[in-house]
Amino acid sequence: MNFLHLNRRTHLYLALFLLPWFLMYGLSSIPFAHNAWLHEMYGPVKFTPRFDKHYEAEIPRDEEALKSFGERVVRENGLTGSWGTYRANPKQVNVYVHTFLSATQVTYFVDQQRLVATDRQFRWDNFLTGMHARGGFNHPLPLDDVWAVLVDLVCLGFLTWITTGLIMWWQLRGTRLWGFLALGSVSACSSCSWPGCRLRVPFGVESESIPSSERICYETLGMGLLRTSRRGCSL
Amino acid sequence: MISKLIRRTHMYLALFLSPWVLMYTLSTMAMNHREFLRDLAGGGPPAFVTEREMPYQLSETDPKAAAERILGDLGMHGAYSAGKPQADGTLVIQRLDPVALRRITWQPAARTVKVERQQFQTSAFLERMHRRRGYQHDVALEDGWAFSVDLFIAAMILWGASGLWMWWEMRVTRRTGALVALGGLGLFVFFLFAM
Repeated sequence: MNFLHLNRRTHLYLALFLLPWFLMYGLSSIPFAHNAWLHEMYGPVKFTPRFDKHYEAEIPRDEEALKSFGERVVRENGLTGSWGTYRANPKQVNVYVHTFLSATQVTYFVDQQRLVATDRQFRWDNFLTGMHARGGFNHPLPLDDVWAVLVDLVCLGFLTWITTGLIMWWQLRGTRLWGFLALGSVSACSSCSWPGCRLRVPFGVESESIPSSERICYETLGMGLLRTSRRGCSL
Repeated sequence: MISKLIRRTHMYLALFLSPWVLMYTLSTMAMNHREFLRDLAGGGPPAFVTEREMPYQLSETDPKAAAERILGDLGMHGAYSAGKPQADGTLVIQRLDPVALRRITWQPAARTVKVERQQFQTSAFLERMHRRRGYQHDVALEDGWAFSVDLFIAAMILWGASGLWMWWEMRVTRRTGALVALGGLGLFVFFLFAM
């Protein structure tokens, strides 16, 4: 097996292994990008009552006490999942308990010593956005850390795809010109939508800030021809 | 012929959208390690520094109209978000800009408007790029970006489907590929039900 063969196989097998994450991140981007449309279609998120009971607990004063309070609420009330605890106001503490498939909102009313829990009804958009947004190493459960490591691995996988993909493209001599054009035209598009460039769109809306005379920009001229310029971008 | 078309579409789309892949990858890593990166940068979100503060009068009472008028008068048209005015009428507008987020505060009692710019931090910039999406702003450039995000989403699904097609065409890799794919799927399903 030579380097190029290894490169191709790495690209392929890495893609097959990470395909579920890849599709999950792709599909879950739809509800993020079209949030208003989905909200109109589904309406507001619905919650169903789980319990409403008397509960005595010391009022958490600092961050650590707040975390302990959340842990105690989860443990003592038969809830499962990761959680986050927030002090909404001096009289109310919220604990959000969530798994990929479910979410429960627990509210502790300090002056009434009352604990109220509601379960969020399952919805595909919530499920997908919940998976998409899960990450980071500051969650209470060890499995959360393992997921965060997986997120890093998926990111490294993406970087490997770019590298191995570029090597494969370069081996196909017949595609180099069009490949360069594809890479170049995106540079043109992205530089003109880049916030550092002043761009005038055809119907007169001016956007963005800070024109920089030192910035190298690409201008799109006519049918996708490209040239570089040391002026700010303008169309 | 179809096979070649699929291969070329897969490749050219990837070349075209590779900057998006790179940006989303780096920004995801930045978000995954947010606390660590913030600690490196001194802790907490980047600070705002005042750019200018000046006397200002405004007759609009509707927050949206007021925000648009203020941005227009300051020559800062573009994507923005504004919360509800505070009890004393103070209106805070975020002028959304991935590189330089600005906060504009109008205080009707003092009749002043203050423009602050958030200090640049690479991780914060990447996060803003990652979250930039949607057609809710009345700005053509933002709509253009939102369209590119939609294109990227469609491309991700297409890359998955065309990748599977290309794998299946390579008979010699079917067995190992199936094992690897099942391994990945198994791990994903485990986490789906375990977390």
